Amino acid sequence: MIFNSLEFFLFLFVVYALYWLVFKKSLKGQNILLLISSYIFYGWWDWRFLFLIVLSTIVDYFIGITIYKTEKQKTRKAWLWVSVLFNLGLLGFFKYYNFFVDSWIDLFSVLGYSLNSTWTLNIILPVGISFYTFQTMSYSFDIYYKKLKPTKNFLAFAAFVSFFPQLVAGPIERASNLLHQIINKRTFNYNQCVGGLKLILWGLFKKMVIADSLGPIVDDIFTNYSSYSASTLVLGAVFFSFQIYGDFSGYSDIAIGTAKLFGIELKSNFKFPYFSRNIAEFWVRWHTSLSDWFRYYVYIPLGGSRKSKLISIRNIAIVFLISGLWHGANWTYLFWGAFHAIAFVPIFLLGKNSKYKNSIIGEHSLLPSINEVLRMVMVFSLVTFSWVFFRSATIADAFSYILRMFSEFTFHSYRHPTGFRMIDYYVLIALFVVYEYIIRRDERAPFKFKSKYIRFIAYAIVILCMLLFYDSKIDRSFIYFQF
Amino acid sequence: MKKIFFKGAFYGLLIVLVLELVVRGFHLTKDYPVRIIDENKVEKWQPNQNGFSVTGNRRQNFSEFRINNSGFNSYREFAPSKEKKEIALVGDSYIEGFHQDYQFSIGNKIEKQLTNFEVYEYAYAGYDFADELNLINQFKDDFNLIDYVFIDLKFKTDLQRGEYTVIPDRMNLETPFYRNLRKFKLLVYLNSIGITGDLKTRFRELVAFKIKPNTTPKNENKLQEVDEINPKYLANFNKLVETYNFDKSRFVLLLEKRNTPNAFKNYLKVNNFKFIDLTTDLETSKRPTTLIYDSHWNDNGRSIVANAIVNYTRQLEFKN
Repeated sequence: MIFNSLEFFLFLFVVYALYWLVFKKSLKGQNILLLISSYIFYGWWDWRFLFLIVLSTIVDYFIGITIYKTEKQKTRKAWLWVSVLFNLGLLGFFKYYNFFVDSWIDLFSVLGYSLNSTWTLNIILPVGISFYTFQTMSYSFDIYYKKLKPTKNFLAFAAFVSFFPQLVAGPIERASNLLHQIINKRTFNYNQCVGGLKLILWGLFKKMVIADSLGPIVDDIFTNYSSYSASTLVLGAVFFSFQIYGDFSGYSDIAIGTAKLFGIELKSNFKFPYFSRNIAEFWVRWHTSLSDWFRYYVYIPLGGSRKSKLISIRNIAIVFLISGLWHGANWTYLFWGAFHAIAFVPIFLLGKNSKYKNSIIGEHSLLPSINEVLRMVMVFSLVTFSWVFFRSATIADAFSYILRMFSEFTFHSYRHPTGFRMIDYYVLIALFVVYEYIIRRDERAPFKFKSKYIRFIAYAIVILCMLLFYDSKIDRSFIYFQF
Repeated sequence: MKKIFFKGAFYGLLIVLVLELVVRGFHLTKDYPVRIIDENKVEKWQPNQNGFSVTGNRRQNFSEFRINNSGFNSYREFAPSKEKKEIALVGDSYIEGFHQDYQFSIGNKIEKQLTNFEVYEYAYAGYDFADELNLINQFKDDFNLIDYVFIDLKFKTDLQRGEYTVIPDRMNLETPFYRNLRKFKLLVYLNSIGITGDLKTRFRELVAFKIKPNTTPKNENKLQEVDEINPKYLANFNKLVETYNFDKSRFVLLLEKRNTPNAFKNYLKVNNFKFIDLTTDLETSKRPTTLIYDSHWNDNGRSIVANAIVNYTRQLEFKN
């Protein structure tokens, strides 16, 4: 069940009404409802996926309790490893098995040996497996590091693992934030609910208008890149930057907004990443729940930046490479991660990785300074360049695309594959950037205007744009569901 | 809780009102001309209406139509006489061409090249071969004065019946219910861009417990070539031709490969029916010949069709 579908809105309406009208006074009732509805939501893709999530829930529930009860450090560590190996085992089997087998075969063929690919399996990738396995692992880690007490409430834990708004594409929540809210009583809050609806509206706009309308153009350019000039390839990369941002941040907004409807606050996942002034700031603003996860559970345990510069650089490289691989079993993602590591290290060495941590572009003025604009353009260019790796089907395609981008530099006006006016998309993106700049101070309040008339005009324009760019023939699935 | 439902409903209503105003103000959706069945039991448009046809969410195609006093979309009135030379184009929406401005119609394009001819476009969306021949028969006094009659024929879709009767389904669109519904321009717009259709389809699927939506592209079979001749359609063709005394000397069929089997073309040749196969001209064009949204001929496609008719008419004139 995807967020931008009729069934989701019918489902949401029914669950919401039951949650606040029937089970308003029963926390247990609300949690049972959340659990059942989350399983229906997830099973809508394929009911067989439910076995995995149930198994993951049971295993981490008992391991959490066992780690907490065990006093011996070695045994605690052993149980932690059981949890990690179990979750990574699930992930490894369903997501990476074929990739490693194929890479192994390729390596042997380079060395002159020929192996048959009889080991590869026809495996369906369960939707959102990378997200919920990371979430359950964080629970075991937090108990191991004694930052969290395990819950004995299995129902609440199961609802935490499978909470449907963020189940398939995050934000990846730590138990200290989400589980705590599921265990405690929620009360209906009008403002929270309205805030949720506004985020859902804005998320739908980003998905349906920005991402979905750019999708066919990006698909066309990346599929037929060998017949396009450099100007078109640049356009394809830039449009993909907006497509993936609209797609994923749109999803996150809908997830956060939906959770708000149930009285639950999820953490922010996107904080206007394209308004970053260096690549380190970009990573504080892009997919922050995953960045935080890697910081807490990989980077810091490896020593973070407390040890020598060399070890710190090693740690940064590891985090980015794993982050790349987390996205998918393809060399393209690994290169994407490596590229970001290379871009990040100089900022780290100059000690500027926290420079913009607590500030925003144009913080004390209406417009950004020229210096900020130049930095922003530079970061956007770097990130856009890296997306070529991310979007290309194979690493060879990525390099060919980039080569062509720098060798065939002639300008040709691009024609939409279906024949629509391209000017509509240029204007759309320009207005989107301007609007995002206007609302840049708070990613959780996209319609924060004092005047209710301006707010209303903004709602109307957003809905009008959804109609103006609606295309019934388009593939409406979310890009990040494949991860 | 109540507040959120009531306020949501209030805001929803206001937004619907604003969108209705925007759709009207920017003319985002098409006007519907009124249909009638005249005294000869011929379905056509009510004479003397004007309006705009709009295709696409963002007015990708915006064109004016003009229904003349005969009830057809044309830049001119139909007044055939023995003294003048005339061509009639009889067909469905492809010839009618609401999606192109009436001043750039196929008829006008022909007249620009055949300056001694007047071209009358007797076309109406949804017409099949039975409609077309019935129309010619009902207006035979006029058609007998016309020198050449070009009839659009799609073998795959136009020969599903062998006798003419009024189709009540289309006329149901003229009931007060539908007319009133069409006054809500936002609803017309939602319908034209496919939202209402998609929602209806998905809702039906959900009611039937169909969890996964049908992802088969709607137009998948549209462009498939038809290679076999359907005996029922051929029988209908023969029956209609016989019933309405098809005049082989003046009537010319307009065919396209995508909806006509080769066997039927051979049949027409053997039986001395005149026809123009538009396929080659349309397929060899370097520019697209159809609209973005559907397979109707765009301006380029209509120019190609006009040229083909002009060339064929010149050949006929030369022979005569």
